[in-house]
Amino acid sequence: MKRRDFVRGVGALGLTSFIPSFRHSVIPSLLIPMDDAQTDHLKAYGLAYRAIQAGLKAEWLLNYRGGSFLIPDLDALRRDAALNGIRFEPVDSGMPAVRGEIEANNMDAVPLEKAPKVAVYAPPNAAPWDDAVTMALQYAGIPFTKIWDAEVMNGGLRDFDWLHLHHEDFTGQYSKFFLIYSGMTWLGEMVQRNSDMARRLGFNTVPDLKKAVARGIHGYVENGGFLFAMCTATETIDLALAAEHVDIAATFADGTPIDPDADAKLDWSRSFAFMNAHVEPNPLVASFSDIDGHQVNGGARRQPLGAFTLFNFSAKIDPVPTMLVQNHRQVIPDFYGLTTSFTRNRLKPGVTILAEEEGAPWVKYIHGDLGKGTWTFFGGHDPEDPQHQIGDPPTDLSLHPHSSGYRLILNNVLFPAAKKRELKT
Amino acid sequence: MSRSINWAAVAALVLVASADPARVARSQAIGPGFELERSGRYADAATIYFTTVRSDPTNLPALLGLERTLFVLNRMTELLPLVQNARARLPESPALRSLELRVYAALNQTDSLEAIALRWAASVPRSDAPYREWGLALADRRMWDEARRAYLTGRKTLGGEGTLAIELAELEQRAGNWEASAAEWVRAVTRAADVGPNAASQLADAPAPMHEHVARILTGPDASVAARRVGAEVLLAWGQPNEAWVVMEQTLGQGDSDAQVALRRFADLAGALPTPEGHRVRGLALTRWADLVPSPVSERARAEAVRELLEGGDRAGARRVLEAHADATALGQASLLQILIADGQLDVAEARLETSKTALTADDRGALRLALANARIARGELDRADAALGDDSSVAAIAQRGWIALYRGNLKGAMEAFRVAGPYAADRAAATERTAMMALLQRIQEESNPELGAALLTLARGDSVAGVAALRRAASRLPVQGGRLEVLLLAGQVAAQKGGGGAPGDQEAMAVALFDEIVRAGGEGAAPPAAELEWARLLVRTGRSAEAIPHLEHLILTYPNSAFVPEARRVLERARGAIPKS
Repeated sequence: MKRRDFVRGVGALGLTSFIPSFRHSVIPSLLIPMDDAQTDHLKAYGLAYRAIQAGLKAEWLLNYRGGSFLIPDLDALRRDAALNGIRFEPVDSGMPAVRGEIEANNMDAVPLEKAPKVAVYAPPNAAPWDDAVTMALQYAGIPFTKIWDAEVMNGGLRDFDWLHLHHEDFTGQYSKFFLIYSGMTWLGEMVQRNSDMARRLGFNTVPDLKKAVARGIHGYVENGGFLFAMCTATETIDLALAAEHVDIAATFADGTPIDPDADAKLDWSRSFAFMNAHVEPNPLVASFSDIDGHQVNGGARRQPLGAFTLFNFSAKIDPVPTMLVQNHRQVIPDFYGLTTSFTRNRLKPGVTILAEEEGAPWVKYIHGDLGKGTWTFFGGHDPEDPQHQIGDPPTDLSLHPHSSGYRLILNNVLFPAAKKRELKT
Repeated sequence: MSRSINWAAVAALVLVASADPARVARSQAIGPGFELERSGRYADAATIYFTTVRSDPTNLPALLGLERTLFVLNRMTELLPLVQNARARLPESPALRSLELRVYAALNQTDSLEAIALRWAASVPRSDAPYREWGLALADRRMWDEARRAYLTGRKTLGGEGTLAIELAELEQRAGNWEASAAEWVRAVTRAADVGPNAASQLADAPAPMHEHVARILTGPDASVAARRVGAEVLLAWGQPNEAWVVMEQTLGQGDSDAQVALRRFADLAGALPTPEGHRVRGLALTRWADLVPSPVSERARAEAVRELLEGGDRAGARRVLEAHADATALGQASLLQILIADGQLDVAEARLETSKTALTADDRGALRLALANARIARGELDRADAALGDDSSVAAIAQRGWIALYRGNLKGAMEAFRVAGPYAADRAAATERTAMMALLQRIQEESNPELGAALLTLARGDSVAGVAALRRAASRLPVQGGRLEVLLLAGQVAAQKGGGGAPGDQEAMAVALFDEIVRAGGEGAAPPAAELEWARLLVRTGRSAEAIPHLEHLILTYPNSAFVPEARRVLERARGAIPKS
């Protein structure tokens, strides 16, 4: 069954529960605990991925010991786990006690069936360590393909099940670093590369190109793709979609000033998650709108970091959000990004909040459906580098094998692998 | 004027205005405008500023507020009549004149801008302000050619090579014309040497391909002393300390009053360079600076200079400084003795150490004895090394005696001495080395092994090729589980990491052969996993990561409880490219 069928099924089912569609494995299994007993949480996702990539059956035991995995007890998988320092526990076939515990509590066992094909949207010259997702995938040993504007515009997204966005400023303003970092070599390269790509693909300006790319990604999700975005990409892709017929790019980006009435002209019916935002008109302020609650570069508007709490969903009724919040920690320290968080009153109705800072006017982690696909937005740049600055050394994930922030990223990578179960009636 | 400076002007003007009650009221009325502006509500802020200007047409904070907000709102045309009105009321106000120029620039009315600037210049014929503001207004619009023409018009009208040189230098830098920028900075520092630090700081940002061109302009034969000193600082910033010192030294014969300050600044800047050349050049600069300052500052400077010269590997230079100033301070004496030992003049040093006893502190004397003993060991003179330690009962000396015992083949004596010395003698590296040797000796059941001692002495004397061969011979006479693998591991580590007189390839092959022998032997000890880890590291270091992976996997799976497994996993990650180099 294809992933898009799974998502459609979830959407159609509403509150209907899921039941297993296959007999539980009778061969011995390995339980990969994901609570504090685990020795490398991040690599455990890679082990589960490789198991299903090899065509083996695996299960994700939602809410059971931190969201554990169950994989067949095979020498190759034991070897993989031993090499990667992943703790596993051989278990009896059937695991009646565990199954009973899952049945009696807010837990569920979701079969993992198909290893998703992963694409990461990034410029060709981006270092592998430029974004948190690339680092997590690399560390966990999950293969991915880097794509950029040309691939999106040429329909290349159809080859992938899952797409990640991170750094991109889809308003085409180079993250508004143009004036602040004027003269820096890396910025010059970024401008040159984007301008060349815009010309190559027949667009007059980079903002025009990025709007078209945003529409391409929107179409990919509508047709059943899984989108996971972090940092700037979350806010700017929605701004770019809403601004299809409005100029929201400063003069330095497209040669014309921002439309003074931009706010009123934005069409939020085109966006994924947000609505009614106020566009930041000052080209000197590296902020895009009031969607971001923390405004890290907003001067006096900048808000301090707190901690965010994951919601506890019903595993049997809401398996998708439950998968996305599997963790061994419920409260996680916050971390900045150019877009750190999402202001509550800018969220569209129907958006599922996965994590929030209690009492704060912003949320951290959101999810929603669009057409046949789904999207998930996670604010911030790097969960283990809360004050990330340009030029900082890359995060070495071997020093953070239990990172709860990075686990949320990897939940997203694995959840498209989940198989929809048949209805009981 | 930049927008950030405008904020400062606003604050200052608000403070000045506080003396006038009417103005206080107006200032309070304008306050919400600032708040609205800060929160991004520019149109609402502009409405408040307009209201203020209507009641007080020359209210500069309000006019500046309008400049900021209307620019963002793309409504600058509305500001022009207000500014013209204000300027007509207060024609002497430079702030209003500047604002008027910026508004014309923002509206792209460059002809009017020039006319207004020249009219202002005519009213203040000796001031460069009109030309500066005219040029800045254009430069802020990135109109480099027009801005340059404005500044040069000012220079031509007012006369003087250095007039508006700083502005031109910054303009050329923003336009990417680094050579032109350097030429203007030369004019600026020649006119006023105190802008030198700013010039050096700005020019240090020149891209690498422009370094040679910029340096040629700053240090050319026609350049002034001040310009050449800027050149020296810029060369330092680019990490070229030797070239920098050549340039700096050439400016010191002039006997000018700025030399002392320039030398001190140069020495401080050189201190930021961690390289040996940086230390040496700092030492040279401090030596010259010491000649220009009174005692006792000069003595301290020389002592620091000697340390820096030694750090930079210039022992001859350090010795010259010490001998030229034989003022017999304890620090100087100790430094001189260190140099003599490092130069291999051990007999001279020994004699001088004996006669200088009273001039040296106890700590210095102890450190010099250890250094002398080390130097004797490096020559293989174990008896004289022992003698050099004398009756020193410090833990460092006991540890040193342990090594001497070991080199004589007295394994039991060495172990006892190392135990007594404990983990705190000397620095951490030395303590680690002793601990590793104790771990090796524990595997050997013999109290005495002169062959092993001689092999270790050969290593200590720096002959790693002969040392590795001697260690292999010594190992061959030991039982497999009685220290042979550990001694082979030491030989392999030396071959892999230190190399020696032979070709690196030979050493590498030797290391691989040794590691292979240990891994094949296997067993319960720590040597097999350690050897496999070293083997893998060697492969990664030499760019053969793919070959390292099976070794690391073998180690992790064969010795799951070994203390080397966490590190093996880390090296495995690197070999696979899964974690960044940091």
